[in-house]
Amino acid sequence: MKVRNFSIIAHIDHGKSTLADRLLHATKAVDQRTGRDQMLDSMDLERERGITIKSSAVTVTHEFKGETYQLNFIDTPGHVDFTYEVSRALTACEGAVLVVDSTQGVQAQTVANAYLAVDNDLELIPVVNKIDLPAADPDGVAMEIEQVLGLPAEDAIYVSAKSGKGIPELLDAICDEFPDPPPATTDKLRALIFDSNYDDYRGVVVFVRVFDGELKVGDKIRMMGTGRTFTVTELGRYTPFPEKLKRIGQGEVGYMVAAIKTLGDVRVGDTVTLEHDAAREALPGYEEPKQMVFCDFYPATGSEGGGKRSDFESLREAVERLHINDASFTYEVQHSEALGFGFRCGFLGLLHMDIVQERLEREGGVDIVQTAPTVSYMVDLNDGSTVEIHNPADLPDMSKVQAIREPMVKIEVICPEENIGDLMKLAEGRRGIFKGQRYVSDTRQILDYELPLAEIIYDFYDKLKSITRGYGTMDYEIIGYEVENLARVEILINGAPVEALSLICHRSNAEYRSRLILQKLRKQIDRHQFEIPLQAAIGGKIIARETIKALRKNVTAKCYGGDVTRKRKLLEKQKEGKKRMKNVGSVNIPQEAFMAVLEQED
Amino acid sequence: MDDPPSIPLPLGRDRRDDLSPHLRDARPEAIYAHVPFCRHKCHYCDFYSLVDQRDRQPAFVDRLLREADRLKELTRLDGVETIFVGGGTPTLLDPPLLARTLRSIRSLATRPPQEFTVEANPETVTAEVAQTLRDSGVDRVSMGCQSFHPDHLKTLERWHDPACVPIAVDHLRNAGIQRVSLDLIFGIPGSTLEDWLGDLETALALDPAHLSCYGLVFEPATPLVEKRRLGTIAPIDEDLEAEMFEATRERLVAAGFEQYEISNWAKPGERCRHNLVYWRNGDWLGLGPAAAGHLRGVRYRQVPRLEEWLDSTPPAPVVDLERAEPSVQRGERWMMGLRLRDGMPRDVVESLLEDDPARRLVVKRHLEAGRLEWRDERLRISDGALVVADLVVSDLVVPDGVVPDGVVPDGAVPDGVRPDETLNP
Ligand SMILES: Nc1nc2c(ncn2[C@@H]2O[C@H](COP(=O)(O)OP(=O)(O)OP(=O)(O)O)[C@@H](O)[C@H]2O)c(=O)[nH]1
Ligand code: SF4
Ligand SMILES: [Mg+2]
Repeated sequence: MKVRNFSIIAHIDHGKSTLADRLLHATKAVDQRTGRDQMLDSMDLERERGITIKSSAVTVTHEFKGETYQLNFIDTPGHVDFTYEVSRALTACEGAVLVVDSTQGVQAQTVANAYLAVDNDLELIPVVNKIDLPAADPDGVAMEIEQVLGLPAEDAIYVSAKSGKGIPELLDAICDEFPDPPPATTDKLRALIFDSNYDDYRGVVVFVRVFDGELKVGDKIRMMGTGRTFTVTELGRYTPFPEKLKRIGQGEVGYMVAAIKTLGDVRVGDTVTLEHDAAREALPGYEEPKQMVFCDFYPATGSEGGGKRSDFESLREAVERLHINDASFTYEVQHSEALGFGFRCGFLGLLHMDIVQERLEREGGVDIVQTAPTVSYMVDLNDGSTVEIHNPADLPDMSKVQAIREPMVKIEVICPEENIGDLMKLAEGRRGIFKGQRYVSDTRQILDYELPLAEIIYDFYDKLKSITRGYGTMDYEIIGYEVENLARVEILINGAPVEALSLICHRSNAEYRSRLILQKLRKQIDRHQFEIPLQAAIGGKIIARETIKALRKNVTAKCYGGDVTRKRKLLEKQKEGKKRMKNVGSVNIPQEAFMAVLEQED
Repeated sequence: MDDPPSIPLPLGRDRRDDLSPHLRDARPEAIYAHVPFCRHKCHYCDFYSLVDQRDRQPAFVDRLLREADRLKELTRLDGVETIFVGGGTPTLLDPPLLARTLRSIRSLATRPPQEFTVEANPETVTAEVAQTLRDSGVDRVSMGCQSFHPDHLKTLERWHDPACVPIAVDHLRNAGIQRVSLDLIFGIPGSTLEDWLGDLETALALDPAHLSCYGLVFEPATPLVEKRRLGTIAPIDEDLEAEMFEATRERLVAAGFEQYEISNWAKPGERCRHNLVYWRNGDWLGLGPAAAGHLRGVRYRQVPRLEEWLDSTPPAPVVDLERAEPSVQRGERWMMGLRLRDGMPRDVVESLLEDDPARRLVVKRHLEAGRLEWRDERLRISDGALVVADLVVSDLVVPDGVVPDGVVPDGAVPDGVRPDETLNP
């Protein structure tokens, strides 16, 4: 049987998961009745948000020119935060189906993911999707693919992942155009771990691509990177329902269970070999995805200890449990005077942060106060050493600091031509340096900038979306750290410094930024019975100040017979809300206030 | 036309409860009937009412009358002392229908009621309507004026010419209705203290027996809230609103009114007896769509959709019926009772605080802080704290021990506080 290994890649929402569904149907892997939409998106959160978070690998078969082909394919996520998932998937493949929405055209992650595939020497089949929609412009989009990526327009296959139109042609092209897996280069077993997940029943499930030799149930294996050894207890593949196998042959893809207890025990990118007949050299692995965005999670209710388990303990349990499933976020215990005990967590990006918070609240059943996200800084000290900090509060005494470096990113924005001016203004207002500009089509352009990651992590993307009325898309990539003139700004509420609100920002706009933050806080903190001063300070020097006036009026104007229950519930809710707030220097601070820090007006 | 979406909040669960067993044991002292028609929907309004459909008036009145008849069979009505017909705009009913409605509602009371109020909007009160009211036994009219400034009326999307008000008052007096109450709203976006004081003077010049002065409330799901969200209107400054409230108290006291409730002022002997039933936790029946009632600790509300209500069988299509936990009921009694400037009598206070050390502590703290006070053997909010009354009230509604002066751990009552502790400062 011939084998084809490929990934489906695209910009977010261009229809990868739907196309995967259609391939499952067309190859009779699932019938219309048992199939759901986006079969491969199995997490609740994926279904609710309609996006793919984790890649999944499946196997189907297809007849082409009288021969049976085994198709192993991987549906990948489209969001930029999960690019590392895409690059892992690609190393297990020889080909990639590049899906482009015919109503949207080439977008930022279309370009980014296509380049990833090219870097991995993969064969690309461009697919123009959603041709059933009235707004579809398949020819125009095929031209864009040619213009930006150099893939001939006439090679594009037009499909509707919804109606199934074009799917047979696509299946044939997959068999016809994607190459066979390359022959083995050694007779020893070498299998690349390209993904792993955690299953409550079987423990860790590892996805492997066998490049050399073959993997059998009962094999004693060794992970070449970590040096750990296990015995293979189960092999199989998803069709998309799990199907057990005795062996996974050379060039094939499948899953492996080997009594591995936690995700921490396997490294994605590691090479599996036989313990007693080991390969000499490991396959090239991956770079670990680096956490670029950090924030703190604290339990929302502050009851500590006492008879029942404290909220912090519940949060800890939830964080640890989630980490078994998602090893790509980091966590460490954090203590803040204002917020008590919590965790400082690192994420791959903002969406990842959102998702982790949501999963903790939903799956872990804890209420969370989240602080504003920040980036990590490299602080060069006078003694020549360098420390990496993830929290403005950890910044050492400035007299010992020689320089602070912050992460820079290269961004690529694809947008309608008429928005170019406004986007440039946005980027330049965020310390962006213009790098270039190219045409995608007559009406759309690609804009390249370099700017500090800190400037884009909070609302840059929202701003971009609103400037372009939803049509603009963006991809970013970390390019390194650079020295900037940064200062730590402390925020004081009623005279008490609130660490969780402190921030690191560029000196040139510290005053302006501080004022905006104080104004935000002023709106978010309710009036109290006393006046509350809000201050921002750099090194003890006050640079901005605002005041929340004392509460003057708080009385229900109207309350008659029919209002009793409703007004009572309203008062209960307000009181409940107050309990969820954090109390600092006798001021109640709502959770949103902790997010206020990075919001900017432009 | 579709019903507007602005129905009161905790509704819409379509569980129908049976009111009959509760009616059997009750002896209500008041009756409220709801007429759900208005000429136009005001933007701040969260009452259940539909823009008038004259075509539905006869069916409505018919159904209401059947409800009244059925109630006569199901409950004791010899304790009824007050009747209030509100809305909506009851005076929008065609005079013959209005007369039928009022007579039928009035006939519910086995003895002549001590007070019979109808709500009216100024533009609807013609000489004929005034006479119909009087002939039907109405002795008190509560009229929505809200403001005498056309631009502020416009902000509220309130459709009447302020010049209608004195004419309507004349019609009522000519017909023999002396007890006239006017509703006013302060704190309308864009209004100034001078505007408000001017409104008060205009109202006083009409010599009302009673005034209701409300700070504007942004009720959820009203167009006003949407306009605030869109930024087309902005609430007035809180300090200014507080000033308006204080100025109202000062001016009306000087004019010979007593503030007997947070938002209500009356000449001596002119308090609204009907509303006092609500604040004193009395029992009343609610008739009509969206009407609420209270019978011996059970609160209920009729379905807030006219069509469903019309199709239902009397007595009442009840959608929300609840007997709250005793502690919650006590919270409601505090919430309502402290609205009255006379406050709550000592024996009521003592009986409410019996076995309730958490609330006892709250009361004690607020007495110490001067927000509550004893006056003539009654516990009330002090004058100075009136404008922030909810601070006190919310602590009594949810007595978790957290009071503004300090934090007491959840639900815990610190050592040394005994249930029998004296409450006198
Ligand atoms: N009309 C039409 N809609 C489609 C087609 N393909 C996908 N969609 C819709 O487009 C939306 C996004 O599809 P998905 O398959 O979730 O896209 P995705 O690329 O997997 O998205 P991510 O995993 O979040 O990157 C869904 O609402 C689909 O129903 C198509 O051919 N025609
Ligand atoms: S007249 Fe009264 S009930 Fe009718 S819409 Fe206006 S405020 Fe609401
Ligand atoms: Mg998807």
